[in-house]
Amino acid sequence: MPSAELTPPEAARWAARAGLPLPDDRHAAVAATADHIHSVVAVLRELDFGDTPPASAYRAGKEKHDAAV
Amino acid sequence: MQPYELTLADAAQQIRARRLSPVELVDSVLDRIDQVDPHVGAYVAVTAEQARGAAREAEQEAARGVFRGPLHGVPVALKDLIDVAGSATSASSRVRAGHRAAADSTVAARLRAAGSVLVGKTHTHEFAYGLTTPQTGNAWDRGRVAGGSSGGSAVAVAAGAATFALGTDTGGSIRVPAALNGVVGFKPTYGLVPRHGVTSLSWSLDHVGPVTRTVEDAALVLTVLAGHDPRDPAALDTPAVDYRPEPEPDLTGVRVGVPRNYYFDHVDAEVETTVRRGIAQLETLGARLVEIDIPMTRYIQATQWGLMVPEATAYHEGTLRTVPELYQADVRILLEAGELMGAGDYLRAQRSRTLMREEWARVLEKVDVIAAPAVPMTAVKAGQDSVTWSDGTVESVSDAYVRLSSPANITGVPALSVPVGHDTAGLPIGMQLLGRPLGERQLLRVGHAYERTQSARPLAPTA
Repeated sequence: MPSAELTPPEAARWAARAGLPLPDDRHAAVAATADHIHSVVAVLRELDFGDTPPASAYRAGKEKHDAAV
Repeated sequence: MQPYELTLADAAQQIRARRLSPVELVDSVLDRIDQVDPHVGAYVAVTAEQARGAAREAEQEAARGVFRGPLHGVPVALKDLIDVAGSATSASSRVRAGHRAAADSTVAARLRAAGSVLVGKTHTHEFAYGLTTPQTGNAWDRGRVAGGSSGGSAVAVAAGAATFALGTDTGGSIRVPAALNGVVGFKPTYGLVPRHGVTSLSWSLDHVGPVTRTVEDAALVLTVLAGHDPRDPAALDTPAVDYRPEPEPDLTGVRVGVPRNYYFDHVDAEVETTVRRGIAQLETLGARLVEIDIPMTRYIQATQWGLMVPEATAYHEGTLRTVPELYQADVRILLEAGELMGAGDYLRAQRSRTLMREEWARVLEKVDVIAAPAVPMTAVKAGQDSVTWSDGTVESVSDAYVRLSSPANITGVPALSVPVGHDTAGLPIGMQLLGRPLGERQLLRVGHAYERTQSARPLAPTA
C-alpha cells in the first residue's frame, strides 16, 4: 500500500498531534516502524465484525463477580 | 545433592520433615548465585542479607512446628517488574533509576505470607517489551539468548540460582524463556493471578505466573498466587483451588488436540520431532489424540500488535515525553511509533479478540487440552535478528518467539511450557499445553503425567 506509507515529515506531524514532538533524527525511523506496525494490523480490516463488540469490558460496579475470561 | 538442586516439592518435603533447614537452603542458593550469576547475569539485585534474615525466621517457625505450607522457607526470585515494598522495581531500565516501591504487589505479599524467601530480582527485557533479555545469557550456552522477557527468572531457575521464580507473560514472556532454558513456565488464565503492583506492558494481555523446575512445582506456586484481588480490574473472583496434581495421574480419555495448522508451520525440524515425541508419550499414557484446526490464524499477530502496541505506548506516555533518551533503542522506537496507531486499529483488535475467543471456545469443546511446540526454534545466538525458514521465508527472532505464544494471551486461555528434550546442539525444547479458561487443573495434570514418564532433569551446566 504505497499510498498509505508515511513520509518522515508526516510521521513527525502525526506524533506532534499526539503530543509527542520528535527530534529531526527520529522522523525516518519512526515512520518506518509505524509503517511496519500498520502493515501488520491492517489485515484486521478484512474481518466482517458485524455486531461484534470489543473485548474490553466496563462494569459499573466497583468489583465484578463473574468468571468470564 | 546440594540443597540448591532440589525442586520446590522436594525442598518443601525436607523442610517439613526437618531434614533441611530454610537457612541451609537459602545459603545454598545464595552461594549458587555467587557462583553462576557472574556468568549468566540473571539478577538485577540479590537481597542476601534480607534473605538470610527471612530464612532464620522461617527456621524459627519450623522449630516451633509452624509450617505455612509448601513454600515455607523456599527461595524465590521475582522478575523485576514485580513490586516489593521498599525495593526498586527497575524494569531493567534506566528510566526507573531511583525507583522505590511503596508496597508489595499482590503476588509478592502472597508469597511472603506463604513463607517464601525472596533472594533477588531478576532481569527482564526492558519493561518486558522484547523477547531476548539481552542482559542475561542462556543457562545452557551463555552466547545464546535467554529468551524473554522473563529471561532472568528462567535462567535463575534453570541454573539453580533460585528454587522458583515469577515472571510475566504478555506474548509469551514466561513460556519463551522457560522453553529456551529447559524449565517449566506457566501462564495462567487471564485474571486468575492478580497483577496489582506489577508493571504493565499491555493491560489487556498481561499475566503473572510461575517459572519452576517441574510442573508439580508450578502447581504449588499457583495455589498460593491465585485468587481475587479487587485492585486488579481484570481479576477473577473464583473459588480457591488446590492445583496440586494427583501423584499418579491417569490420562485415559483425555482428548489432546494436535493442531493441523499454525503451530507446526515454520518450526525447526528438531523441535517438531521432539514435541511430536512428547505428544506421542501423552497417547501412551491413555490420552486420545484429536486433530484440530486453529482458527483465525491470519489475524493472530495483527490482534496481538493491535492491542499491545497502543497499550504499551499509553503506559509510557509520560516518560516517553520527559526522558525518551533513557530507553533502549529497540523499546523507544516501538513506543514512539505506537503514538501513530489510531483508535480504529485498536478497536478492530479488540473486536477480533472477541471473535477469536469465541472460535477458540468452539475448538476447546472438542478437546480437553491442545499440545504444540512452545517456540519454533531453540535459543538463537545473541545478536541474531532473524531466522530463515526452509521455504526461504525470513522472520524476525522476536516475531518467531511470540508467534506460538500470543494466541493464549489473546484468548486468555492457560498455557504451560514443559521441557521435552534437547536439540543436537544441546539446547532445550519446550512443549506447550493449552487448556480451557480456568482449566488449570487439567493442564497441570497432563503436564505432570508427562513429566512422570521422564527422568529428573539436571540443572543447566552453567559456569
